Amino acid sequence: MSQSYNSIKPNVIDDEMLQKAVEERWPEDIGKLAKSEGIDFKDVTELQLSFRNILQIDNLWQFENLTKLQLDNNIIEKIEALESLVHLVWLDLSFNNIEVIEGLDTLVKLQDLSLYNNRISKIEHMDTLQELQIFSIGKNNLTALEDVVYLRRFKKLRTLNLTGNPFCEEEQYVLFVVAHIPDLVYLDFKLVSDTTRELAVSKYHYLIDPLEHEEAQALAQLEEKLAKQKELEYHKTAFVEYLNGSFLFDSLYAEDTEAAKLAYLPGVDDLLQAYRKDFVSVCENLFNYGLKEYEKREAEVSEFYKGLHEALTANQQEGRKIILDFENRNKERLDEIHHATSYNIAESKRAEYNEDILQLSETLMTLEMQTVDQLEELIKDFEKNIAVIASTFIENVKGMMAQCRDLENRHHEKLLEISINTLEKSVKNELDEDLPDDVRELLVDKTTLVNMVNTSHNVHLLKIDMRECDILSNTYRWQASVTGKAFQNEIDRNRNRVKEIFQYIDNLQEQLDSIELLEPPE
Amino acid sequence: MTLLWPGGGRMEVLEENDEEEQREEELMKALEISDEPHNIETKLSVDQVFVPNDVSDFDWSSIDISQLPSSYKTNSPREKKLLRIADHYLQQYTHLCPDRKPLFLYPVNECGIKKFVSTTVRPTLLPYTELYHWDGCASFVCDYLTMEPLKSPLIPPSLLYSPTTILKYQRGNCFDFSVLLCSMLIGAGYDAYCVNGYATHDICSLDETLEVCPLLRKPQEVPKEIMKKSNKYRVKSSPDMQSKFELQQEAKKKAETEATHKNEERGEGKVTEVEKPTHDPLYGLRVHAWVLVLSGKREVPEPFFINPFTGNSHSTMDEHFLGIESVWNHKNYWVNMQDCRNGCKDLIFDLGDTVCWEIMLSETDKPLQVLLDAEEENELFDRNTDDIEEEEEDTSFAMPPSWVAPIQISPREFETRCSQGKKVILYKKAKLEKWAPYLNRNGLVKRLTVYADLGCTEVVEVREWFKNREDMLDMRELNKQTQLTTEYFSPGHLLGLKVHIYKSMEPETERVMEFYNEARVDGLQKRAENASEIKEYFVGRDDFKYFQHTEFGKRGKKISVAGARTDINSRPIVQMKECFHRNLEKPADEDVAERVFLITEEMIHLTYHLKDKYITASKKDFFKPTENYRKQSEIMTPEMCITYQAGSSVKDKKLLHLYKLLQELTEEEKQLKQQVRQSEAEVLNILKIRENEEADIKLTVSIYNTERNEKRKQQYEATKNAMEDEFPVHEEQDLDYLAPFLIQIGHPEKMTKGQVLRLRDDCLTDFKNRLIAKANIIQARFEKEVEELKKKNQQFQENQSQLSREEEAVFLADYSETMFRIHIVALRLNREKQTAPQKYLALEEKLRKDPRLAVHLSHA
Repeated sequence: MSQSYNSIKPNVIDDEMLQKAVEERWPEDIGKLAKSEGIDFKDVTELQLSFRNILQIDNLWQFENLTKLQLDNNIIEKIEALESLVHLVWLDLSFNNIEVIEGLDTLVKLQDLSLYNNRISKIEHMDTLQELQIFSIGKNNLTALEDVVYLRRFKKLRTLNLTGNPFCEEEQYVLFVVAHIPDLVYLDFKLVSDTTRELAVSKYHYLIDPLEHEEAQALAQLEEKLAKQKELEYHKTAFVEYLNGSFLFDSLYAEDTEAAKLAYLPGVDDLLQAYRKDFVSVCENLFNYGLKEYEKREAEVSEFYKGLHEALTANQQEGRKIILDFENRNKERLDEIHHATSYNIAESKRAEYNEDILQLSETLMTLEMQTVDQLEELIKDFEKNIAVIASTFIENVKGMMAQCRDLENRHHEKLLEISINTLEKSVKNELDEDLPDDVRELLVDKTTLVNMVNTSHNVHLLKIDMRECDILSNTYRWQASVTGKAFQNEIDRNRNRVKEIFQYIDNLQEQLDSIELLEPPE
Repeated sequence: MTLLWPGGGRMEVLEENDEEEQREEELMKALEISDEPHNIETKLSVDQVFVPNDVSDFDWSSIDISQLPSSYKTNSPREKKLLRIADHYLQQYTHLCPDRKPLFLYPVNECGIKKFVSTTVRPTLLPYTELYHWDGCASFVCDYLTMEPLKSPLIPPSLLYSPTTILKYQRGNCFDFSVLLCSMLIGAGYDAYCVNGYATHDICSLDETLEVCPLLRKPQEVPKEIMKKSNKYRVKSSPDMQSKFELQQEAKKKAETEATHKNEERGEGKVTEVEKPTHDPLYGLRVHAWVLVLSGKREVPEPFFINPFTGNSHSTMDEHFLGIESVWNHKNYWVNMQDCRNGCKDLIFDLGDTVCWEIMLSETDKPLQVLLDAEEENELFDRNTDDIEEEEEDTSFAMPPSWVAPIQISPREFETRCSQGKKVILYKKAKLEKWAPYLNRNGLVKRLTVYADLGCTEVVEVREWFKNREDMLDMRELNKQTQLTTEYFSPGHLLGLKVHIYKSMEPETERVMEFYNEARVDGLQKRAENASEIKEYFVGRDDFKYFQHTEFGKRGKKISVAGARTDINSRPIVQMKECFHRNLEKPADEDVAERVFLITEEMIHLTYHLKDKYITASKKDFFKPTENYRKQSEIMTPEMCITYQAGSSVKDKKLLHLYKLLQELTEEEKQLKQQVRQSEAEVLNILKIRENEEADIKLTVSIYNTERNEKRKQQYEATKNAMEDEFPVHEEQDLDYLAPFLIQIGHPEKMTKGQVLRLRDDCLTDFKNRLIAKANIIQARFEKEVEELKKKNQQFQENQSQLSREEEAVFLADYSETMFRIHIVALRLNREKQTAPQKYLALEEKLRKDPRLAVHLSHA
């Protein structure tokens, strides 16, 4: 609308343009320096690309740390290629030819967004911009006043500009907007007065109240869901998820069609109820035990890390002390060498200093060796304790699972007995109850019946075994990962420390050497 | 019941050593006299301080008793009865416990009248907040009164003056102190008792020279309980490589040298032993009175003693208190029946326990159990005496109200405290002087002088406390050894000054100033300076700076350029160092921990915080570009900055960044320099202000203090006067005695003579009628009373034979009251008759002089 196409050739953002744009922002002295060593786009935080007839956004991925980007007064038609600019706080896309809001989903830090003077007809695709504070979408093609309701989700929005849209002609425009965005401070460059707000609320409360109610409900639901998820997560880390209740028991029968049929036999229902009760109580025990053990494990781990942290802090302090001592001793050394009256003196002092540096290196390395020994012992202790905890846990879990299996076996026996009894009765035609036809069919052949009961039993046992296996493997995995992490951390730490010591010593040597160069030989 | 003699079995000793004791006493007197000149000497040495004339021995016989109320000079019937009961009690007591000392029951008061001790206690709550707590009361009593020793240290006094008299003359013995303090404590709601007992010589004679001054006592450090949970993950310390043998040898050597040292010290020890108290031959026999506060009321957790001489509280286990004869409060009197061989340690302070405590008046307001017990006791007593008639009265008699007039202390007296506003207490190696506020013009209220020796000759330290000073000076400490003066200020001094430690007020000398950092924008907490450096400590700054150290060089030759700027003469800055706390928002190796600006060497050192688990800190050393460099095209070269980046081999950051950093640092250096100059200026400013303040000390007066605050006083009086001025006018307007008559004639502006005369006559007749009516009313009342009396008398005469004793008593009381009323009415009637004509004449005179009527009447 605002741009004329015919005059100038449209551009795509390319490296050359970017280079120029970056350079423009520097004062002269820095510019020279920067030019001489080359520009790293990673360091640029602000970029202005206004009035450049840009048609397509591109090549911006290198500006990882950009916080402010101005692309106003171009002829951009589509928002694109901005995904990698995740640190962006300010984005100006005003005076372009954009038709749809899109491609902003990754810019979660965005606080100020301007889409003024474009061709947008709907407010959409902005759900992730929760930090938005200032939003300008004036002079667009917004026609439906109901679109404004979308902006309710931005809890931090304080300034909004909507002027010049078709719906602004509507009579109740201001009151509608204010009513739907209650925390708004500025609308269309004007302060929202309290009287306006009151008026808006009184006029539209019939619209707002259900909205608010709905939102509150949704929020409550979400919270509930999150809480549940969190609890489940907690149970999962304790390896006893879905054991507080009849989940496992229900799962035993979930895919067991035979059992469903058998349940119709007289007396089986009671049996099943009793079995269920016992089984669930065993599960509950297992669950509670699991949670308790989980706390114990966590306590053990945290205690280990506390001890480790203490040891490391002590070690850090000791090392720091050695280095500070050295630095204090040698503060004036370099100067002395530098200003030594004769080469010989300088040389001897240099040698002395060199000796000192070597000494320091040795002390630090000894300290490190000592620490490694100490920590190794510590970690071995930890490994041992973890192993004990894990094995007792596994032992007990196995015991409880054995209880489950016993229950199943007992149930199986009883079920078999009932089945055979019923069969016999049925054969003698002494059966009183009415049974469904498919069940009646079963009561013909003994082998089929026994087979069926056995199959059901096997399915159950398999399920129990699987659950046990789950817990056990999880426990083993946890044990391995915890101890492995401890060892790996220690190895990393050791490497880093050694590297640090070498680097420091090298640095000292280098300083010394550089001074030697300045000394004129005799 | 075994009765034991409090104070242990020392009676024999006393008898044997009778002569010795006399000598001892003489010696003591002599000592006291010899002490006095020394006292005077020290007082004279005090300058700029109000010195009261030492009142020499006060003669109690010369006090004026003529103004005292009649209750002081006579005994009411109930008091007489009480004395009878007490007498009886004493008889029983001496009968039961013949070997104990006579009880302190009814000494003579200032008017020579026997008064029971309990009635001398006058519970009073005084209108001062400080006197609501026991410590306030105790310190007031010990400050306000001057101590007099007992006439004889072995027996209780035969005289006990009223608290009012004691307050008036501001002196008394331990019994007077105790009674006054007890009165105040009971008034304030404490369960307090006067105690008559035995104490050590130091307590009895208010000799605190062996005590450490309470102000010098170090607060007991509460040992911090460090709950160190033993972590099973603990690194084993590296093996100890030191030779055990060598250590042993060393320890041996040390022990030897210590032993020799000790031997040497033992020689010195003999000298110090003089401090120890000499053995007191009268130990356990010296009579003393103090106050006992029992638990239960006012949230007192357990019983304790208050020594009224010092105002200090003591535990009931205190070994200075050697025995208790009896205790009393305003309601009752108890005799101790417990063994005091071990002092007061084992005493049970449950006064309801009749085995331990013998009560005098069995009370009705005590629990029933106690009452019964008490009665039993009484019976026990009575078996020995045949006086049964008294018993009934004993049990039902309540203590009569105190004969003492209400205790009053005026605000001025309360403020002045000690007699003439000054008090001196001698402690071990210390002297404490106290003054009333506003007495000294510099606001001095307390001075503690600490000496190095027992003889109090060598001053170590002087501490002075001030009050109501406008410059908020709270306390000044002068250490004579180091010559350091420390001044402490209350919040509110200019620039938040809190403490000032200095040797001299000259600028750029050694001094430390502490500040109330909450009150300062820059968060400065402490600034220590001497000739060549300033150290500043900060708290709670946004830039995390906590320390700044500036070093100065020697001043260059004075450049006497005319119109030169002031800072040309200031010390050149050599080095500035800043230290910062960790700012957790930045990564550790971008967060500067220490920044050093070497001005002369044109260098800047940056040291960063340690990264987690690292032992070397990142560093940057900048060499500032010299002028030559500047001219070259390159503004930044790699040589200008030496970098050490801990834990990363990528050595150089881009020059661009370094250049920016350098620019920032240069700017900050400039600001920092300015800030240092400001600091210097501030110090100068504070010193100047302090000097001015000291030169012209002003005291503040609370606006609530109408006595002292002149402005308030004037205002108050002005309003008061205004009120007084207004009111009479008002009344006159309201009650114009001529108004009713003027209204009758229509309130004319001017009245004719006839009108005036008529008005006068009207007025006079009206007044006359009123007088007559009044007289008639009185007459009528008189007649009515007389008639009633006659009637009653008649009735009584008729029924006399049937009346019980009580009814008779009621009638008699009624009769005497009616007689009294008749007498009064007769008197009034008589006076009315006498004054009526005078009043009439007075009105006539007034009418004549009334401005409205005068024109016509004066000539009439």
